[in-house]
Order: sequence, then structure tokens, then C-alpha cells
Amino acid sequence: MISKGATWNSNSCRIKFARRFVSALLHMRNRNTRPGSLTIEGVRTHTQRIKIAAYLSMAQAVGSRRAWSRAVLSKHGSRARRHSRMGRSSVGLKKTRVIRSYPPGELGQAKKLRQLVPGGKTMDMCSLLEETAHYIKCLATQVKVMQTLADNFSK
Amino acid sequence: MGDKGKFELENRNEDPINYASSVSDWGFGGANLTNTSIGLVPKVNPMAVSKGGLIGSSSCSSTSMVDAFGPTIWDHHANSENLGFCDNGVQKNASTSDTFGIRKGDPVALRSIDKTFDMVWNPTSSMLKGDIFLTNSHAMLPQRLTPFPADSAFIERAARFSCFNGGNFSDMFNPFAVPESMGLYSGAGGVMQGTQEAFAGSGLKSVSGGQSQKNEPSVGEVSKDVSLSVEHGAAGGSPPKDERSQSHVRSHEESKQRSGGSGNDSDEAELSGAGDQDEPSVLEGAGREPFARGLDSRKRKRNGQDAKLDPAKGAARQSGDCAKDNTEIQQTGDQNPTSTTNRSSGKHGKQGSQASDPPKEEYIHVRARRGQATNSHSLAERVRREKISERMKFLQDLVPGCSKVTGKAVMLDEIINYVQSLQRQVEFLSMKLATVNPRLDFNVEGLLAKDILPSRVATSSTLGFSPDMPMAYPPLHPSQRGLIQAGLPGMGSSSDLLQRTIHSQLTPMAGGFKEPTQLPNVWDDELHNVIQMSYGTSAPSNTQDEDGSLPSGQMKVEL
Repeated sequence: MISKGATWNSNSCRIKFARRFVSALLHMRNRNTRPGSLTIEGVRTHTQRIKIAAYLSMAQAVGSRRAWSRAVLSKHGSRARRHSRMGRSSVGLKKTRVIRSYPPGELGQAKKLRQLVPGGKTMDMCSLLEETAHYIKCLATQVKVMQTLADNFSK
Repeated sequence: MGDKGKFELENRNEDPINYASSVSDWGFGGANLTNTSIGLVPKVNPMAVSKGGLIGSSSCSSTSMVDAFGPTIWDHHANSENLGFCDNGVQKNASTSDTFGIRKGDPVALRSIDKTFDMVWNPTSSMLKGDIFLTNSHAMLPQRLTPFPADSAFIERAARFSCFNGGNFSDMFNPFAVPESMGLYSGAGGVMQGTQEAFAGSGLKSVSGGQSQKNEPSVGEVSKDVSLSVEHGAAGGSPPKDERSQSHVRSHEESKQRSGGSGNDSDEAELSGAGDQDEPSVLEGAGREPFARGLDSRKRKRNGQDAKLDPAKGAARQSGDCAKDNTEIQQTGDQNPTSTTNRSSGKHGKQGSQASDPPKEEYIHVRARRGQATNSHSLAERVRREKISERMKFLQDLVPGCSKVTGKAVMLDEIINYVQSLQRQVEFLSMKLATVNPRLDFNVEGLLAKDILPSRVATSSTLGFSPDMPMAYPPLHPSQRGLIQAGLPGMGSSSDLLQRTIHSQLTPMAGGFKEPTQLPNVWDDELHNVIQMSYGTSAPSNTQDEDGSLPSGQMKVEL
């Protein structure tokens, strides 16, 4: 039962992400101009956009249940982008940087992990590990979906 | 396996009622853990609820205990427990009047305890396989219990023996530790507290076993049984085990009380009566020595559900003593420095309401282990540490190839590497999609690049990554023209290759790369970066995505 629930969970997550990601890709392709994508810079920009779209799609698929997805959404969300374009965004500043003394025994690994996991800077170790677990799970599905997409496109 | 068993044991200790939930979460193989661990905390509650239905169903622990004695015992209980949460099991258990209602995970824990006593660890291993030991065994268990001297040292040894000795658990493994960690998970299962103490080897309170009345939530019983089982196990007597299972099943309340008063040998006699109920509690209430002792010799009476176990149990008197044991245990519990009075009182208060829904508790009852500081700070510290280790265990299952790694530092390193490699893969794949997406007629160039790649791989030795490089390159998709070539570090003449590939691929394209000659220069720097990035850390564990790890390495992950 538990495994069933987990499979269903990951499947739904995967499907949601795939749907959003593909639609984002199509949207981007329509917007993108042909010549621009041929230059290295153009490709790089496009890559960045695709990458952000991938993470955003995953965060949206997860919803606001997780702290890391919330952090991703607030950082890359449309509202955040609008705010940043206007200059100072209150959204970006809302998160207060907490200078925490790393618990003994964690060394700099916790710091590294916090940098890797979105939104991990303001989390305590316990929730950081929890978020990391969920984040790893979602990242794995994301990679799988993108891999199949890339394979299909390149075929 | 041993670790698993310990885990289950731990879970059980926390809360006999939540056992099912906690155990079920942990009881299954690693795969299950993944699913369960995340939801471990929330699951605990449902489990507790299900337990409510069970009368003193220390299901988890009891099941394991019973299991130790014989698969036959579990028959009627098996159906009651479902792998998921014991909700179904609860109902079934209630019907069967076996408090065990538990889940698979529990049996392991219990079993381990029983095993130590006079049986081999077979049940533990079987439990780890994910068998569902359900309450059935509970009833049977008491029969097997043989009386054995509730020697405090013996109990301690037995508790230790039954508990897991694995890695992170070593520190928490002292007889008292097991119940504690379990308690953390159950959160709602405050009842577990008592069980933890019971585990404390020496402190095994018989109280937990005998005293818990049947109506008491399984948690109490579980703890009692735990303690009982531990004690009995030591003595190698089967009768005590019976008592334990019975007591824990039934006397949730008692177990709770017992947990309050840990380490009262005097309570043994009383506990013995309650022994039946506490099968599961025994595990948790390892500290209940007196209880275990009492169980051995006395037949536990089941207050309610353990009616079946009655005949099996050798300790009949325990049941009778259950009632008074509760009070006594509580008193004795105070003597124990380990339990925090406020916590234990909270537990006892809960006992009354345990009958229906132990998991209702909002906060986690933590019982200090014997010999540990009872300062609230240190207790909270312990809870936090156990939570962290629990999460680390879950992560261990998530990250491939980390099952053998023990220790937080190494584990964290692995996790960090894995996350980094995953992010690199995402980057690489997005790059791939960026180039593939607009151009669907990419296959020709891809084939060209593919032909060139393998021949070039052999010559790559400048960076000394040749043994690793070839592995990474073949899976590379040559569909990306210059980009992929750029991502090939370690190629001696990477710049030449880049130029060649770029030229070969660019010429057919109308737009193409405007400055092919400049590209190699651009890529050279990146290649070095890639090499350092890709191989600075250990190779990614997920080999299937190898192709993405290297090329994406050149780009920094900016998230």
C-alpha cells in the first residue's frame, strides 16, 4: 500500500511536471527567433531559460507544499520577475537571511547543502534534510522526463 | 537487516499504538522506507488512531514478539494489519481482541527482542522481509514466554541485544535509547514514552507489562511487552513473553503507567499480571525489569483483548495486578530519574484517552533514558538528533549507492554530490533541449559527432581522466553540435576536435557559427572548468544519466 501510494505520488508528480514543462518549451519556442538560437550566446540564453522553466515547472507541479518549491516559485515566479524588473522587489527581500551558527558536527556540508537546495538557507538542519529528500526525489523525476524529451526530440 | 529490525524496534518503542504506523513505515524494505519516511510523521498519527481501536494493541511490538514464537500465532492477526497504516488492522484487531493489530514493521522489533531471549533471530530477518506480523502472534506469544530471572543486567543485555546496533543507532541504542527514538516518531504516540523506559534493560518495569489494562492504548502495552519481552528474553523463558504480548496488547494504560515508573522491580509482580498486554510495550519499556520478571513466572491476565493470550501466558497474575500496577508503576516511575515527570504525567493523562485514539497527542513525549540527563534541553536535543538521524536514514535510501555508508559526514557528502550531479544533468539536458528543440533536423550532425567522439576518446589523456572519460562520452548525444564537443574534457586535442566537429556540422547550416575558430578557445577554458567540476567530486552514482553529468559540468549550476 505504501509503495502504491508512493508510485502514484511520483507518477502524478512526473505527469504534472511533464505537462507544464512541455507547454513551457512550446511557448518558448514560439517566442524564440530562429537566428538567435544559432549563436552560442543565443543557445546559452535559451538553455538558461529552459533550465529555469524546468525548475519552475517542477516547483509548480509540487505546489506550495514544500519549502523548496515555495522558494523556487518566489525566486523565479512571474511576480518576482516583474518585481525585479521594476527594480527593488519586495518579494525577493522578504526572506530574511538568517545567520545561523552551524550545529557542531555538521561542518561545511550543511552550508553546501543549503546552497544547493533552494530555500535552504533559512531552514534548520532537520527540515533541511527533509526538504533535501523531497528535492532529490523531484530532481530525479525531472531529469528522467527531460531525458526522454531530449531523446524524442533528437530522434 | 539488523538495522531494519532495530528501526522497527525503535518505532515500536515509541508508541505501541503508533507502532503500526511507525513500524510499517520502517518495517518494509528500503523502498518502503522511502515512501514511508517522508510521511513518517504524519503517518504516525493515523496509526495511532488505528491503534485506538485495538485494545492495548501494541501491535507492532507484540506482533514481532509473537512472531518470534511462531508463525502460526500470527494467523489471525495477519489480516488485520495492513502494510499501510493499521487502520484496517485496528478494526480487525479489535475484533480479534488482539492488541497487536500491527503492522509488519512492528513484529520485527518485537521479534528481535524475543529472539534474544531464546530464539534465533529468524523472525527478525523475516520481518525485515516485510512480512506482516500481525497481531495474531500476539496471542500466542505469551505461551512461549518462559520465566527467566528479571535480572537487570540481563535485561539490559537483552535489550541491547534485541535492539539494533547499527551505525547511527549505536549511540541511541542503549536500552533506553530505542524507545526514545521511537517516541520521536510517534509524536502523537505519547504513550510510547513508557515503553522507552521499559527498554532500559535494567529498568524494565514489570509494570508496563502487567499493569496496563486492556483498554489502555496499545502503546502502553507495547512498551510493557517490550520490557517484558526483553526481560523474558534474557531469561530465555517463554512465558514471560506471553505475558508481554498480552500485557502490551491490553494494557495500554498500564504500559503508560509503567513508563512513568521505570525500573521498579517491585512492580514486577504487578506487571506480571499485566504482562500480557504489554508485548509491544515490552520492547519499548525495556526498562521495566520488574515487569519482565513478574511475567516470567506469572501468567498475565489479559484485561480485555488478550483473552486469547491468557492461556498462553504463563503469568496469570499479571493481569490481576494490572490495575494496581498502574498506580504503583507511576509511583515507581517517579523514582526513575530518567523520566521527566511532566512528560510522564502527560503520558498517564493520555492513557485514559488512549483507548480510542492515542495519536491524538500533539506533542512528542520523550522519556529520558536511564542515566541520561533529564534536562529539558538535553531531551529536546536528543529528540532533535533522533529526528535528524531518521531523516538521514531516509535520505540514505533515496541516494543510490549509499546503503553502506554510515556516518553523517560521509552521508552528507554523498548527498551533496548527488544533488550536484542531478543539477548538472538538468543543466545539460536543458542545453540539449535548447539546441534540439528549434532544430528537428539534427540527426545528421549528431551522427557525425558520434563518429568522431569515440575515436577521440582514446586520445584523451591530458587531463588524466581517460578512464573516466570514455565512460561518460559514449552516452553523450551527439545531436548537440558544438556544445557537446565543448563538453568533452580530457581530450588532448579538444580544440582541434571542436574545430573539426564544428566545421563539419556548421557548414551545412546556413547560419552556423560565425566564428568557428574562436570557439575552441572559448571552450578550452570551459573544458578545464568542466573537468574540475565533473571530477572534483566523485563520479555521479546514477550511471544512466552519465551523459548529462559531464557536459553539464561546464556550466555552473546557478540556482
